[in-house]
Amino acid sequence: MPQDYRRFNGPEDSVSYKRFTKDYLKPYNILNDELLNAKELRQDGRALTEARSMCMFFATTQVVSQAKGSAYVERDKTKIICSVFDPREIPHQNEFSQLGQIYCEVKFATFSCPRKRRPHAPDAEEKALSVALRKALEPAVCRHLFPNYQVDVFVYILEHDGACLSNAINAAGLALADAAVPMYDVITASTIAVVGDKIFVDPTESEEYVALTSPETNINHGVIILSMLPELKQISDFTHIGSMDAECITNAMDILEKECIKIVPHVQKVIVANLVKGFEERKKLEKEAAEREQLLNTKMEEWKKLLNAG
Amino acid sequence: MITDNDELKDFKLRPMKCECNYLNRSDGSAILSQGQTVAVVSVNGPLDIKMQSQSIGKATLEVLFSSKGGKPSIGDRYKEHVIRQTCESAILGCLYPRTGITVTIQELEDYGGFLACCLNACCLALLNAGLAMRHTFAAVSCAIDEQGNIQLDPAPAQLETSRATMTFVFESREKSLVTAFTDGSYSDSAYSEAMERCRSASDLVFQFYKQIVSKYSYVIG
Amino acid sequence: MSEVYKLIHPVKFFNDYISKNVRPDGRSFSEQRNIKLNVDAIKTADASALIKCGNTSVICGIKLELATPKAEEPNKGFLITNVELPPLCSSKYRPGPPSDSAQVTSNIVSDIINNSKCVDLTDLCIVPDKLAWVLYCDMLCLDNGGSLVDACIITLMASLKTLRLPTVTYDPETEDIKVDTNVQTKLKLNGLPIATSFAIYKYMDRNVTLVDPSSYEEDMCGGLGANLILCYNKGFLCSSQKFGGSNFSVDCEEKALKIAKERAQLAEEVIDVCIKNYESKTNTV
Repeated sequence: MPQDYRRFNGPEDSVSYKRFTKDYLKPYNILNDELLNAKELRQDGRALTEARSMCMFFATTQVVSQAKGSAYVERDKTKIICSVFDPREIPHQNEFSQLGQIYCEVKFATFSCPRKRRPHAPDAEEKALSVALRKALEPAVCRHLFPNYQVDVFVYILEHDGACLSNAINAAGLALADAAVPMYDVITASTIAVVGDKIFVDPTESEEYVALTSPETNINHGVIILSMLPELKQISDFTHIGSMDAECITNAMDILEKECIKIVPHVQKVIVANLVKGFEERKKLEKEAAEREQLLNTKMEEWKKLLNAG
Repeated sequence: MITDNDELKDFKLRPMKCECNYLNRSDGSAILSQGQTVAVVSVNGPLDIKMQSQSIGKATLEVLFSSKGGKPSIGDRYKEHVIRQTCESAILGCLYPRTGITVTIQELEDYGGFLACCLNACCLALLNAGLAMRHTFAAVSCAIDEQGNIQLDPAPAQLETSRATMTFVFESREKSLVTAFTDGSYSDSAYSEAMERCRSASDLVFQFYKQIVSKYSYVIG
Repeated sequence: MSEVYKLIHPVKFFNDYISKNVRPDGRSFSEQRNIKLNVDAIKTADASALIKCGNTSVICGIKLELATPKAEEPNKGFLITNVELPPLCSSKYRPGPPSDSAQVTSNIVSDIINNSKCVDLTDLCIVPDKLAWVLYCDMLCLDNGGSLVDACIITLMASLKTLRLPTVTYDPETEDIKVDTNVQTKLKLNGLPIATSFAIYKYMDRNVTLVDPSSYEEDMCGGLGANLILCYNKGFLCSSQKFGGSNFSVDCEEKALKIAKERAQLAEEVIDVCIKNYESKTNTV
């Protein structure tokens, strides 16, 4: 790989030190057994069907002051930040497009993945996530309202602990709402991981890793991500990686739909809280401005009186 | 084209030689050597540029630096940034709106004080190109060794043993500081003293510019 | 209303504030923004720190790797710093390879760290000529509100202070490497460079020095980032860069040096308090 001359580069042969630790190369069976303990609880104490909380404390908007709209989502350890910019002209395009475009870019921070350091240049996984994000957001945004323009959505994954694409979609939905981009509905997404007959809702990185490495026997394994528009009851994106039978998938879809609907009240609370805060700030500023104007008016009256007297 | 050094031992800079109009296809060019460090600069402008790069109120300055090795690196971008900021403060860009001015620097030899040599060569090339400037600028570099002695325009041997190197760029009207950049660690007093020494030494460089311009023009000098 | 005025007459808008000795965001010329610092937020990184200074947010993550030292410097490890300015942080940056401003900022930060010699590269060597640590320090700007270099340096220093190197055993005969993450040693730091940015604006016939400029003030003073960056490392200046903006006179310079020195002490206290809180929390847990 040619050295990137626009960045400072380290030695080409550097490897992560984790490769030399004792518990790096664990066989699949042991990793599989480690996922659930005796009481059927996962490594972080959750039940199989319990998702990580996305209540108001872990999702905020208006985090990036320079962007039109932005959002930050934190699900236990997975941390994702997203910013949305004003519509701008589509670069390198000559023909008129009837619908506006959404330009998405998903990027992992170099220090975000636990197993290795990610390169600065976008690799295939990031490009695939960017395309998936765009496909998920397109049905939700009223693209006919900004023809021939594009809205930029940039997502940065600061820490990767599973369920990255679904949380990126959640963050992007919040950021688009914060940026006042016209949308048909709120967009939410969730992930499940399937290992054999166990379904893990909102998997962590170690659970996803086990689900994506293929076992020796022919059992169901994989990861499914579903994003939907809850009011309209429409699915905007469905991504499935792995191998499983049709019954498993239909079962999984029911679970995922319920999960997506569970997130909706949290998203609504965040957006409404933001709106209320904005209104109150505006009212306060207007009140202060009115007070100052009144002071100036009284001063004007005094001076007029002085002028007339003199 | 050759200038004699000042008799004072303290303010001795390495001998400077310059030739203007060195390149026949540019609007202005200069090749300057300070001691054994050599740089050649070519200036083109005002030019017609793309609508996107145009700026309504002033000229757009573009600086390109190529090193001797040819392979681009991050250090090159830094040098371009420094040269660009210095030239922008000097050129009266408001007189050339919606145009572009390109400054290209090619490194030929680096034997100490290279960026200072580039900046001086840029000033000469801009003068040669006839662009309207607010002031001319002169760059002087110096090195501070472990004992605290200040050496102006250091040679590579002195750079090896120095604890800090500094380059200051002054303008001709009030001798105020236009650009500065340093390497290494030093104390406040060393910094102020070095700046004052370089400020006085910049007189020599300005004198050199006057000599060069008078040799190339028929009216002045 | 003021937004419209700001767009139509940007220079007059700014001058109106400067003439009353105040900046558009309400600060005086030498008032700095508060620094909020948090360490070890990212558990996948070997050390991390997040700073929020006004609107500027920068996060630094350090990843450790092992490599063979360079042949010409067999007893030195590697310290690679990179600053990334993604399009997320401001509309000025487009997606793609690092822009010129990112490269320049990266270069300035890297120069400051190398000049201050705060990390002795020989400390990073495990076995000379065979094995050494590589510290990949990546600073990611989440929100560009001005004074980027300051924020990058503070967050980098805070992460280096919390970094712990695991012990490595190397068997020279079998060339076998074993890493034990349970026994960790702190990285030794000599010195703590802290940078202060200034913007220099020419108002009428005098020069106004604005400490800790916001991105709007940096734009008004001529463009790409701060005009003057002074970096203090335990009482010694380890870097001074000035480009652009207005020209600088001697008395402004002395004032700036004094302000930079005070800010360095303040930032050092902030980092110490933050790390003490973090360490007491991890020791009790």
